[in-house]
Amino acid sequence: MTENDDVIWELRDLRKTFGPVVANDNVSLILRRGQIHGLVGENGCGKSTLIRTLSGAHQADSGIILHNGAAVALRGTPDARALGIATVFQEFSLVPGMTMAENIFLGRWPGRLFAVDWRAMREEARRVMAELELDISPDAVLGELPVAQQQLVEIAKAMAAGASVIMLDEPTTALGVTEIEHLHALLRRARSNGAAVLYISHRLDEVVDLCDVITVMRNGRVVSAAGETPRDVPAIIALMIGKEVDEQYPKLHATRGEPLLEVCGLSTGRGLSNVSFTLHRGEVLGLGGTLGSGRSAIGRALFGVETVVEGEIRVRGAATRIRHPSEAIAAGIALLTENRNADGLFFNFTGSENITVASLNDFDHGLWLDLKLERRVSNELIGRLQVNRMAESEMIDRLSGGNQQKILIARWLNTKADIFILDEPTKGIDVGTKVAIYRLINELTASGKGVILISSDDKELLAISDRVAIVRRGRILRIAEPKDVTKADLLTGPEETQRAA
Amino acid sequence: MKRLLASPVTGPAIATIAVALLVAMTTDRFLTQGNLNNLALQVSILALVAIGSTAVIIVGGIDLSPGSAIALLTMLLAMMLKFWGLEFWASIVLVLVAGAAIGLVNGTITAYLRIPAFITTLAGLSAYRGMAFMFNNGSPVFGASDQLERLFYGQILGMPLPLIYIVVFFAAAHWLMRHTRLGRSIYAVGGNANAARLSGIDVRRVQLCAFVLAGFMAAVAAVLMAARLNSGSPNYGVGLELQAIAAAVIGGASLAGGRGDMVATLFGALTVTIVQNGLNLNAIPTSTQNIVIGAIIILAVGIDMWRGELSRFAAWAISRQQLTKPERHEGRKAQ
Repeated sequence: MTENDDVIWELRDLRKTFGPVVANDNVSLILRRGQIHGLVGENGCGKSTLIRTLSGAHQADSGIILHNGAAVALRGTPDARALGIATVFQEFSLVPGMTMAENIFLGRWPGRLFAVDWRAMREEARRVMAELELDISPDAVLGELPVAQQQLVEIAKAMAAGASVIMLDEPTTALGVTEIEHLHALLRRARSNGAAVLYISHRLDEVVDLCDVITVMRNGRVVSAAGETPRDVPAIIALMIGKEVDEQYPKLHATRGEPLLEVCGLSTGRGLSNVSFTLHRGEVLGLGGTLGSGRSAIGRALFGVETVVEGEIRVRGAATRIRHPSEAIAAGIALLTENRNADGLFFNFTGSENITVASLNDFDHGLWLDLKLERRVSNELIGRLQVNRMAESEMIDRLSGGNQQKILIARWLNTKADIFILDEPTKGIDVGTKVAIYRLINELTASGKGVILISSDDKELLAISDRVAIVRRGRILRIAEPKDVTKADLLTGPEETQRAA
Repeated sequence: MKRLLASPVTGPAIATIAVALLVAMTTDRFLTQGNLNNLALQVSILALVAIGSTAVIIVGGIDLSPGSAIALLTMLLAMMLKFWGLEFWASIVLVLVAGAAIGLVNGTITAYLRIPAFITTLAGLSAYRGMAFMFNNGSPVFGASDQLERLFYGQILGMPLPLIYIVVFFAAAHWLMRHTRLGRSIYAVGGNANAARLSGIDVRRVQLCAFVLAGFMAAVAAVLMAARLNSGSPNYGVGLELQAIAAAVIGGASLAGGRGDMVATLFGALTVTIVQNGLNLNAIPTSTQNIVIGAIIILAVGIDMWRGELSRFAAWAISRQQLTKPERHEGRKAQ
């Protein structure tokens, strides 16, 4: 048996563009039976585009996909599913109200015509679980299981369906250490059963530990193919980061002024414990750490979205209680949320109305809103931030992601806030708009305001922040100057770094 | 021109005119002074209820209770006037307050106790009519007051009062929705409740306000309904909530929330009423009328939902025509 007999999926020279952005540029990848293939790279390097292409959600502009050596066309996710491509995202494709057994056989319940053979189904589910050495009852209602077990069920479902490849995108961000071990054990068993696994993670230690081969991507290209990547965390980080382009991050250092926001021993019922830091006027304080580390929770707690159970917040020297976003806005705090669509934009509003919605006080004369003043103010901001002029009168969904983000920033600029919490301000927007946003941050700090920058883009975080707080498991591990923070600190967290070193 | 096309009122207005033309073609009794006056009286109660339904739909909820609330409120009004010996105007004000209170109950249960609006007001649909039957041994109260009928049949400067109510209440509702902070907040909450909260809006209070408005408008409609027959009855207003929702939806309101327009709703109510009127004039039974209204709702929402497909189809049809023309031309040359 030659090595090629193991090849089940092969991607050859895939290219995918979104407008001017080249997301995948001549990407080739080979997936073999009985092999766990790691795929790593920074955010926006094209990993997600690649798996979306293989799961049928995107169609490549050019290039071919081979299944068992024969070219196939994946015109949609049903095509991909029919060929046994299983994707495990953070959101599960399971029904919370059904039992484990029903979920495993979702849509292909055993039985004849309309009658489901429940007994056969439960027997079969029990057999699958035994094979995978998982201890979950077939009758357990899925929604009542811990998230980690739900994820295991999701994978078991893929394996029971005879998946030819199982793709996992950041599967461990919500899991604890023992749960991660369970997951890895399950994947190893899948491997010995002859499945191909594509594993995507920011936790490089995990990747090196688990995967047989590793592909590294950067800027839409494969910079290190499966065979050539060393199984060594610092070397992989170097490959992921590559050379830096300096003017990508135009950072101006403002003079640091008096303390603007002092946070003392802040704890919430949901994960934050004893968080303390001070934000000064003219300063950008970066919050670094992995997804789910608590970076965003800090922003949400300061904005009155998550309930603070302990600790003190002092704004401009005065102790302030913040229980609702309206109180945060009144205290001069602005929160640009990570999720533009779900938490930011009003798709039934024009760009102008989206800007003024958080500062309607300025236009309220009691019985009516001063619509003329509103238009003047929003048009001025649209001009100042160089947003597409369509925003003045057209609905927000007509605008690009970058323009939408600028509209949201304009919303908060107009609230006259002093403290700007920016959660992933450049997520999913083009390079030109990114630079415009960095320049805006410079303007804010130059005028004596304070910025808390939360970002998964490590280069951005280290380049734009004056100080960086490393957040892990709801705590701040340390606060340091960017030059004293290595990219490895942010990618893997300090504990792993020590182990890797 | 472009602004006219973009206006939310244009489509429903065209629908109203189209339906009116259609009805006028089927019978020459439609465009008579008497029938048009009658139409204005007929549309008034539905249109006033639909103001409340529209506000609740825009905030992202739905109100199934106004029909039953109206039955309860007409009974309350007739009892106060005939048996409880209350002053005329005091009774009217009390009924309006009672309507707002019903809205307060619906809104509190929905916004603060987090029961879905559909369930809350479905319960109200049942309960308020039940309460209406608790007065006067469940019998209608006739001959409530000598003064009452004037509220419906009276005129000012030759204008029937119901027409004046429509103008006044729709102007106020339009002002509320488009020119006040509360109106903007109602659109914001219906468009994206999460984002509204994060923009400092008190989402629950805004939802509550929309329900209170709906309850108040139901009371206004109840006063008119009682005045029309100078009576109160636990059987009034059956199915009115569905017609009001239909008016809002034909007027372009989205049940997903965030979209809708008061003036467009007025045209929606007109469309529903003209269809009923036209079918009446042609002596078509009520059962068929209900089926027609159902079909119009699907058509109105469909035209909105399929807008993309329809314009793409139009573009395709035009490009096909352009493509086939030169072909024919070449064909002739070859010959």
